Amino acid sequence: MAKGYRQAPGKSGDKKRTDGKRVAGQQDFGVPGSGGSDPHSKLQDLDYVPESVGGWKKQPRGPHVHDRHVTGMTIGKSVPLVDANWKMTGQAQYGDDIRLPGELIGKILRSPHHYALIKSIDTSNAEAMEGVFAIATGQDSVNKFGVLPVTKDEHAMAQDKVRHVGDLVACVCAIDEATAIEAMNAISVEYEVLPSIHDMEDGLKDSEHPIHDRGKYHIGESNVQKRVFQQFGDLDGMERAPYRHEADWETAGLHHGFTEPHAVVAHWDPSGRLTVWSPQQVPHYLHRALSAVLDIPMHQINVHRTFVGGGFGGKSDPFPHEMCAAILARKSGRPVRINFDREEVYWINRGRHPSRIQMGVFADDEGRISGIETDALIDGGAFASFGHVTTYYNGVLHTAPYEIGGFNYTGARVWTNKPASGAMRGHGAVNSRCAVEVGIDAVSEQMKVDPMTFRLANLLPPHSRTITGFRVTSTGMRECLAKVREQSDWDEKFRNLPLGKGIGVGCGFFISGSGLPIHWDPENFPHATVHLQCDMDGGVTVHTGAAEIGQGSDTAVAQAVSEVLALPLDMIRIRSKESDTAPVDLGSYSSRVTFMNCNAAIKAACELRDKVMKAAWEITGYNPDVLVLGDRRIYYKHDPAIGVSWLEAVHKAQADVGSLIASGAYRTPPMGGVHKGAAAGLAPAYSFSAYVAEVDVDVETGFVKITKAWAAHDCGKALNPLAVKGQIIGSCHMGMGQVLSEEMKYGRDGHLMNPDLLDYKIMSVHEMPDVVPIIVESNDPEGPFGAKEAGEGPLLPILPAVCNAIYDAIGIRIDELPVTPDRLHKRIEKHCRKLGINDPLDLPVPRFEAGPLQKKLADRADEHAKRDHLRDIQEDRSSYVNGVLFGFAPDKPMAEQKEGWREAVVPTPKDLADPSKRAARAWGHVERRHRGDD
Amino acid sequence: MRMPPFTLHTPDNLAKALALASELDNFDWVAGGTDLLPNYKWHLNPKPNVISLAKVNELTALSGTVVGAMVRIHDLANSEDAHPLIRETAATIASVMIRRSATVGGNICLDTRCYWFNQTEEWRRSIDWCHKCDCDTGADCRVIPNQNTLCVATYQADLAAAFIALDATIHLASGAGARSMPFAEFFQLDGMTRNVLKTGELVTHVTLPEDAKNWQGAYQKLRLRETWDFPEAGVAAAWKLEGGKITGLRVATTGCESIPGDHSEMAASAIEEWSGKDSIRELSEGVRKAVKPVSNTYFPPAYRRKMLRVLTRRALAPLEHL
Ligand SMILES: Cc1cc2nc3c(=O)[nH]c(=O)nc-3n(C[C@H](O)[C@H](O)[C@H](O)COP(=O)(O)OP(=O)(O)OC[C@H]3O[C@@H](n4cnc5c(N)ncnc54)[C@H](O)[C@@H]3O)c2cc1C
Ligand code: SF4
Repeated sequence: MAKGYRQAPGKSGDKKRTDGKRVAGQQDFGVPGSGGSDPHSKLQDLDYVPESVGGWKKQPRGPHVHDRHVTGMTIGKSVPLVDANWKMTGQAQYGDDIRLPGELIGKILRSPHHYALIKSIDTSNAEAMEGVFAIATGQDSVNKFGVLPVTKDEHAMAQDKVRHVGDLVACVCAIDEATAIEAMNAISVEYEVLPSIHDMEDGLKDSEHPIHDRGKYHIGESNVQKRVFQQFGDLDGMERAPYRHEADWETAGLHHGFTEPHAVVAHWDPSGRLTVWSPQQVPHYLHRALSAVLDIPMHQINVHRTFVGGGFGGKSDPFPHEMCAAILARKSGRPVRINFDREEVYWINRGRHPSRIQMGVFADDEGRISGIETDALIDGGAFASFGHVTTYYNGVLHTAPYEIGGFNYTGARVWTNKPASGAMRGHGAVNSRCAVEVGIDAVSEQMKVDPMTFRLANLLPPHSRTITGFRVTSTGMRECLAKVREQSDWDEKFRNLPLGKGIGVGCGFFISGSGLPIHWDPENFPHATVHLQCDMDGGVTVHTGAAEIGQGSDTAVAQAVSEVLALPLDMIRIRSKESDTAPVDLGSYSSRVTFMNCNAAIKAACELRDKVMKAAWEITGYNPDVLVLGDRRIYYKHDPAIGVSWLEAVHKAQADVGSLIASGAYRTPPMGGVHKGAAAGLAPAYSFSAYVAEVDVDVETGFVKITKAWAAHDCGKALNPLAVKGQIIGSCHMGMGQVLSEEMKYGRDGHLMNPDLLDYKIMSVHEMPDVVPIIVESNDPEGPFGAKEAGEGPLLPILPAVCNAIYDAIGIRIDELPVTPDRLHKRIEKHCRKLGINDPLDLPVPRFEAGPLQKKLADRADEHAKRDHLRDIQEDRSSYVNGVLFGFAPDKPMAEQKEGWREAVVPTPKDLADPSKRAARAWGHVERRHRGDD
Repeated sequence: MRMPPFTLHTPDNLAKALALASELDNFDWVAGGTDLLPNYKWHLNPKPNVISLAKVNELTALSGTVVGAMVRIHDLANSEDAHPLIRETAATIASVMIRRSATVGGNICLDTRCYWFNQTEEWRRSIDWCHKCDCDTGADCRVIPNQNTLCVATYQADLAAAFIALDATIHLASGAGARSMPFAEFFQLDGMTRNVLKTGELVTHVTLPEDAKNWQGAYQKLRLRETWDFPEAGVAAAWKLEGGKITGLRVATTGCESIPGDHSEMAASAIEEWSGKDSIRELSEGVRKAVKPVSNTYFPPAYRRKMLRVLTRRALAPLEHL
């Protein structure tokens, strides 16, 4: 049976057994074959079936609960994305490809001022123009919205004031674009210009006209939108620490730089329902926001996600232009399409926050990290967006992968008169992670310890808890470090390369799905739901709300279903585009989709499988326990010739139960601490990564070229190694842009100078280094087949790896991003002056000489490796919390074990005494409700 | 974003093109369109008429000493006949795709560029326009304010530096006849008028001196990415070696001011007493001092100026040991 069993029409056998069991080769195939492009049922691919269930796939970290559902079909295999052909042949319909008969073109009138009161708007000239169908202003839409329910501060169009250049003032729709533009220019608006705020530190001060007014919740008279304070651990240890690196970072704002500008089409159909087509990462929040803004129930709205031409977080807010299209369509009675020009994309922004981060990394005589102290002031621009979360993430996401003695975080986000910052790939973690990793590098240098060793000797083990209470399940951090160390020839190169050539390492840690659904309690509603439907043709339709944004979520869910049901991928059809047909999914953010949606899909597929297997039992007479679900064929374990085709079993199941449908849902387990803000950063699993980068620095010009990167990422289990490698390489490219060239540049009077792709410098193929993606599989106990995220985490380590490599090359510590040639050149000049060197080509290069701690830490790292292995394979699952390395017992509250152990989320005056800390100043204001006024 | 409407004229020979030009009073020439059309889309001084030179065959000559205005940059970069320095310089222009459309004439006549100017109409409205495209508001220059007479937008085309370094002659034609001049004299120190072209006049071709083939050279370009980016500074150097001695040296810069810079006098005096590295260092310092960029492109002017020194040094590196 080299080819397996033929899935073609069979003939009824002559001899029938009377015991109900079938004779080999004589089964009934009363109907055409079971579909799929191959007529033969393939043999089970045992290379991909885990040892624990009789396959050949090695499991160095032990078995997984989903092993039983592995059929060897597609999981772990490199498959092209299921929608790739649509894109490659140009048939994918993106936002701008949607054309409805009778469509009108909408245009948005935007503010030319940074900050101004709107005194009046006169639309009469525009209204009188031929071909103009409708005009709307803020008056047409007074309801607020925003992606987070706690910080709704947006409107479809400005109400009484505009808050940044490009803020929406009015919109028109007309018969064609030219008329719409003409009409837009014919609207006259009278403004009273207000003094605007551009520097984030000014946002901390009292203002005569705060950019928003949050009533009694407003923080004094300032522009502080959110402030966070968290102190955990032994802060004295940090003060006493013999090794310390404190740096003051400035990182520029970034845009996601996706290819497809925003586009939206809105249409009210004859039944009175609204359909909105938009390239959305988070269709469900748009659904909610539309309902709130338009004052209509959600069931009257169908949100239709188009193909998304890149999002990276930049298409995950509900957007005012989406509201505008709906409002104009309602007013005009015709479909309305709005397409953005590139500078509009930059004005709506939601990219990475410009930040000023003070980062202290401290270590003790034992080579342990006594603590991390962070003060992060982030510039939110004109709206809240995801900023509430970003403010937390800038601190809490560096409480791992290392075990730390103390954590002292002050964070604040301020409103300024700039385009709003928001979530971008690696949300909130990227800048501060870079600062932490550079600090680690500097501290190991002071200690005379190889930074690889220092890291390896301070890692949290698998199945542990971080200092603020995050539950870490699997971690492949150690393996990531080991692999990049080996493959990059680290031990030969580190501190051994000539001037201008450098090598550096950096690590990353990221959430694999935000643990808390923003809009509801996970106890009540699940995070993700998947419905399956199987009909007479034997194919399976997957209904999911997970937003395919190019990351491959359609493929991942198809793979999960295909794996459990042992069906080829071409028999799985994904319906993920419309809210009308998709169950609610929270959307594509926080790297949650594969983890949550595939878990839901596995559950649904198991339910469907069980129904079909039951039918097969009835046909074959063999209990499902001894039946094997093979490729479109279910057969007796000990005699594969005995069995039924998938299709026949499906038909039998339909005959027995009626329609063949199944459903699965995923919700996170209860976890995390109880302090205010404990939920921020909480995730059912975390990803880990370690990169080594090699750079060439031109000391005369300040140009940095990354020549090679070894990128190891622990994604738990690579469901599709091709997709994981794509994410790793893509992340390197994106992170490389942030570290070397990308920035939103603001001119001296606050204007965004580079809202275009020529001057917003995304690195080209010429700059792209050779990236060696290394997949590490830590087999997460709760991830689908062991998988965790691979979409965002892989971005983090490239930044510090490059910064540390620059240090290795020229001895200059980076504390400002991006490291553009002009900036680095300035630093080199300064450095030369300091050293009294005329020619930068004479600069000394840092060298490494191991100190006494080196051996001690190397030994500790070896011991920890053994410890971690035992925990991985479940031989040791004793409780482990951050602090054990410092001698604490894991099962007793820390505060009881040490006097002075802090767990505080509200500062005391003493905590705020250091005047140099910026974000801490946000606590100088009193919330109005506590001030006595309402 | 929409292209403002204009009438496109496509004469198929030079005479017709020049005749059209004297008929129409308000028009732009267009060659490859890679500069003009983006500017039109941004509503930067668009005209009601555009005369395309695409079909004018007289302008496509290409040899070791003649380069026609309508030669595509791609063809120039890949031509075996063209002077190596010209080829090297052409290969750094824009990107592979743009070079296929882009022409020599368009490159020479490239509009000057400025952060406050190369922006969409909506963006420029937010800064209340600027002198170079003031929409009849009489707006001031945003780079050097409180004067609205001069535009200091930057000339960021690459080829000019190489042509000046090779002592090229530029040839113009109009209904009134043809004229020629040394390449550097073609430019005028004003970001708006840019060059000496009169209404109805165009660039036909560029010629190099007969002994150009005896000159070697190098072009150094400062830009963040190795594709797309305009020169933030560019230095072309050309020299002639006879019997192991430098008998001719010319240096030109681009990308730093409203016109390209010709530093050949300085270079000529440097070779009188050439002493390798030292002379190069001195000459590089001289070039840095002679050029004064302003703050209207991607890199800060101070950096661009300093880099002129490095670029000059690197361009002249082959002469270090002479
Ligand atoms: C993304 C991008 C990157 C770029 N990078 C570079 C770069 O690195 N270096 C660089 O030098 N340029 C660059 N350019 C600019 C441009 O592409 C080139 O300079 C190109 O050579 C212009 O030629 P063209 O034929 O397309 O010019 P066109 O756009 O057709 O014309 C440009 C100007 O010259 C005038 N003109 C054209 N031909 C003649 C003629 N024969 N006589 C008189 N006037 C004429 C036109 O009226 C117009 O004002 C870039 C452009 C883009 C869009
Ligand atoms: S230099 Fe001045 S006048 Fe010229 S384009 Fe720039 S801002 Fe306008």
